[in-house]
Amino acid sequence: MSNKNNPSNTDSVLAKSVQAIAITLLVFGAITMIVPFIWSVVTSLKSAENIFSHSAFWIQFPPDFSAYKQIWERIPLLLYAGNTLKVALIVSVGQLATSSLAGYAFARLRFPGRDKLFFVYIATMMIPGMVLLIPNFVVMRNLGAINTHWALILSAVGSAFGTFLMRQFFLSFPSELEDAAKLDGCNPFMFYWHILLPNSKPILTTLGLMAFQNIWNDFQWPLIVLNDESKRTLQLGLSYLMSEYYTDWTLLMAGAIITLLPIILLFFAVQKYFVQSFKFTGLKG
Amino acid sequence: MAVETFPQTKKKISLAKKQRIQEAIWGYLFITPNFLVILFFTFIPVFFALYMSLTDWNILSDPNFIGLENYEKIFSDPLAKETFLNTFYFAVVSVPINVFLTLLLAVLLNQKIKGITFFRTAYYLPVISASVAVSLMFMWILANNGLLNQILGGMGIEPVRWLTDPKIALNSVIGVTIWKGLGLNMIIFLAALQDIPKELLEAAAIDGANAVQKFFKITIPLLSPVIFFVTITGVIGSFQSFDLVYNMTRGGPGHSTTVIGFYIWRQAFDYLHMGYGAALAFIVFAAILVLTILQWVLRKFWVYSEE
Repeated sequence: MSNKNNPSNTDSVLAKSVQAIAITLLVFGAITMIVPFIWSVVTSLKSAENIFSHSAFWIQFPPDFSAYKQIWERIPLLLYAGNTLKVALIVSVGQLATSSLAGYAFARLRFPGRDKLFFVYIATMMIPGMVLLIPNFVVMRNLGAINTHWALILSAVGSAFGTFLMRQFFLSFPSELEDAAKLDGCNPFMFYWHILLPNSKPILTTLGLMAFQNIWNDFQWPLIVLNDESKRTLQLGLSYLMSEYYTDWTLLMAGAIITLLPIILLFFAVQKYFVQSFKFTGLKG
Repeated sequence: MAVETFPQTKKKISLAKKQRIQEAIWGYLFITPNFLVILFFTFIPVFFALYMSLTDWNILSDPNFIGLENYEKIFSDPLAKETFLNTFYFAVVSVPINVFLTLLLAVLLNQKIKGITFFRTAYYLPVISASVAVSLMFMWILANNGLLNQILGGMGIEPVRWLTDPKIALNSVIGVTIWKGLGLNMIIFLAALQDIPKELLEAAAIDGANAVQKFFKITIPLLSPVIFFVTITGVIGSFQSFDLVYNMTRGGPGHSTTVIGFYIWRQAFDYLHMGYGAALAFIVFAAILVLTILQWVLRKFWVYSEE
């Protein structure tokens, strides 16, 4: 403030100090974000007997991988991973198919009642998931889907949000392509299949990723509809592991790391689409 | 006769009509798969849940219609009162902290800083992580002899029973919830910040505005719709929180971390009080509906609009 006569100097000093504070805060924040993960990895590589006898900051070297071997004997992790992957893939593909078809119809085709129906769609997006837990449990029970993976699949293969997203994207699709396709004798399905879908890969990837991640990380709904051990998803398996071995921290941390790893790897592989999906999540709420 | 005089026109009209009908058939065909899922697993269930909330159904015996009894029961259920208070506390504490921190982070990340990709990635990691794994990680960090207490011990601070002290546990759950959600709102704010026209800030700088003035007179007003949106969705999110509570504390110790999302699950799927659970869920639904409508109506008044 004393340097009022020399604004450029003040500005650069101010800018530098602001930058320094910014970086300090960001570094502190980033450490807070990452330390829990590192701490879990470090814990998982300790021998169980060293967990309580050493200080938290002690790192065992050479690391002990026995927790990563043991966990396969304690719970059928491969089976859980297979269950989760199966459901997540079916739901992602199903949701992409139904949402893109419906989104195309709402965006580009004319039929009576279209806009009223779309309004109903938007309205259903405002219904919180917790209101649907109880009635959907009853619906699944009447369908005989309780304790089967159908209970996870059926309610998720269609999505009002996905339809909304696809519609918004298809609205901006150049209509010249559609007219040209019509002249060439394309029916709406041929246009959808040969022109629309191949030109919508980014949005399809984003939506597919969101569906996949939602199923992979979902906990409450599988907890409600699945009972058999053999039907469990990874998250359920991990939660039950926790209630059974609640002091065996090396084992539990190994379990946490194993279930986190696929999503984290996926994240690093296609980070761009994940970030896009975060923005859409905001839109969804 | 007209038909014979203009055969081509009639053909054209009927062709156009035929095309319209065909297009409509395609349209209905395309929405059907998705529509059936929405119809059976969202639209009908809402009305079904409303009906269930008026019954005493417990899965084991047939439901009896009991009118508004479940809703009356909510007002005389001391645990429901405690649960609503916990939920209210959860929202009132977690949402402002979340909004403040995410806005701060977004503003910081919006500077030209080296290693920005690293920072962003760090903040995203908790968002993509499953809540069960996050619960596990923090149960170990917050354990009586866990990392946090050992760090505090190093600074000479007495260990805190983060998850087992009824006065503290809810705060710990809130803390983990905030930790997990920072990256999400941060990206929303960051996108909004990048949408602010540079000319506006430059013009203000020419007029002699300093960074603080620019922030409060330009950035904040322009961001106000997003701030409002993030606040409302944050409150709605608090009403539905379940995973972290279930895995970290099971609503305890006592009922100190029992929030409404957990209480509904407990009533419906632990005690099999489906009707009562549905009534509780509808109370929350009503609250969320009011907030959503409020968001619609109020945004026109007190938030900045482009017009």
